[in-house]
Amino acid sequence: MPEKVGIVGIGQTKFTSKRRDVNIPEMVYESVKMALDDAQLEPNDIDAILIGNMDHFEGINFSEMWCGIDAAPGYMKPVVKIATGGTTGSSLGICGYYNVASGIYDKVLVVGWEKLNEGGATTGIITAFDPVWERPSLAGALGPLALMANMYMNEFNVSPETAAMVTVKNRSNAANNPFAHLQMPNITLDYVMSSQTISYPLRLHDCCPQSEGACAVIYANEKEAKRITDNPAWFHSVATSHYYTFGCDDKMYDLPTATFASKKAYKKAGIKDPIKDLDVAEVYEPTSWAELSWTEALGFAEPGKGGNLLREGISQMGGELPVNPSGGVLSTNPIGATALVRIAEAAIQVMDRGEKRQVPDAEKALAMGFGGSLWTELAILGNEPPR
Amino acid sequence: MNLRGEYKLAKKDREDIFEIRWKTDLPYKYSIGKLSVKFFEVLKKERKLLGSKCPECGKVHFPPRGVCAECVVKMTVDDMVEVPPRGTLVGFTVINYPFVDPQTGGMRPFPYGYALFQLDGTDTYTMHFLDEKDHTKMEIGQRVEAVFKDEMEGNLGDIPYFKIIKEG
Repeated sequence: MPEKVGIVGIGQTKFTSKRRDVNIPEMVYESVKMALDDAQLEPNDIDAILIGNMDHFEGINFSEMWCGIDAAPGYMKPVVKIATGGTTGSSLGICGYYNVASGIYDKVLVVGWEKLNEGGATTGIITAFDPVWERPSLAGALGPLALMANMYMNEFNVSPETAAMVTVKNRSNAANNPFAHLQMPNITLDYVMSSQTISYPLRLHDCCPQSEGACAVIYANEKEAKRITDNPAWFHSVATSHYYTFGCDDKMYDLPTATFASKKAYKKAGIKDPIKDLDVAEVYEPTSWAELSWTEALGFAEPGKGGNLLREGISQMGGELPVNPSGGVLSTNPIGATALVRIAEAAIQVMDRGEKRQVPDAEKALAMGFGGSLWTELAILGNEPPR
Repeated sequence: MNLRGEYKLAKKDREDIFEIRWKTDLPYKYSIGKLSVKFFEVLKKERKLLGSKCPECGKVHFPPRGVCAECVVKMTVDDMVEVPPRGTLVGFTVINYPFVDPQTGGMRPFPYGYALFQLDGTDTYTMHFLDEKDHTKMEIGQRVEAVFKDEMEGNLGDIPYFKIIKEG
């Protein structure tokens, strides 16, 4: 039987477009120090480090060597780098779980980060694809996400205004999250709809920003977790589902990996109806359109009906299943940290530490990572240890 | 570090920052595989397109792939089949934002039409440039055709783009 695993410390930097006041290790350290202080632990209390980002977005290489040892407390300890594109943060989060659940380590620190203003995410993403067949026409992530939105709107006759409602919800939620990058308390549908079309049907404000920052999370086994805090966030299930699409050979909007992974994660965590049995979800939505169709893939709505979650208030704050109280990826996207922020924010909710973004009485939270070639990674956290 | 460094104080009207800038060339080679070699040889000499057909499930992959992911079966040049240069539009967009193209080191010219289509007789979608920058003129289900360069060189640039066509 795996060990029960709890999150006992969280550190997030204030995400922003530029952190020119710090270099990479300094920025990583900032989040690590916050997480250690949060758990009231010393660097020596940590058994192993998992660190992740997408090096080629910054034009660097092997960065774990020079920011996983001193910035994160890796001296004389195992330090492992994880880089899986958009899912980097959820891969980190899930591997952190494995490392403790396996019984090998008692306490593990995971940290994800990115400093996107120092390089080019679109350029970096293109280099991740086949040099001969895919790179010539590929324009990073937004091109395929635009194709996906185009196919989805055509298949189900969904209006751009429906997608814009996602941005309005998430960016106004972000105003309640002191760490979020784009905080827009007074954002309107008109504001989103009147922004420039950057890749039809995507308007500027249908798309996530490029952010800089780091997120660190400390994991502990049951014995240590209970010693450290009386309020850990407990892992109830994790699921990873990978897929490969050469040359965008997929409709993408139905995200088969999300359907597959969610069925697995729900079963393990005893979730029968996600709307009823989950209290909050941190969904990975690089575009407004992605939240519409991927919440469908997660079983929150029937295909083509994702917009109803917004219109009926279900995914809004105060609804039956608020989606992205943190503001989501549409408000903050420091790629290597992004999906770990989903896990951290899900933990914050079940720990009842969300302050202005808190969903009342949140007991079960879903966190989603998306990346790679249409990959999905999920974690379900609870306020009580799993049975 | 291979650093052609240049110390530079940024202009005051931008931001009050100290910057060190450098530019590094990192040339690579890439082995494209036997199926791609065959594809580009035939493209150059015969102006024809080849896909690869899985000997197990019969799925026709375009562009040609070395392994059928569903069957986990290897395909060789003997499994390559001709596919027509025509197909159907599955999805489209117009890329309208600036970024550095890692293939050239310079900015990729934009706007450009970028589309997903399915060639006739194939079982996969594939993406390429589309010779249309106005999204109101594109529609899912439209017929498209590959345009070949006059002087073929044996690379993907020999098909600079697909164009929307009207049939019968």
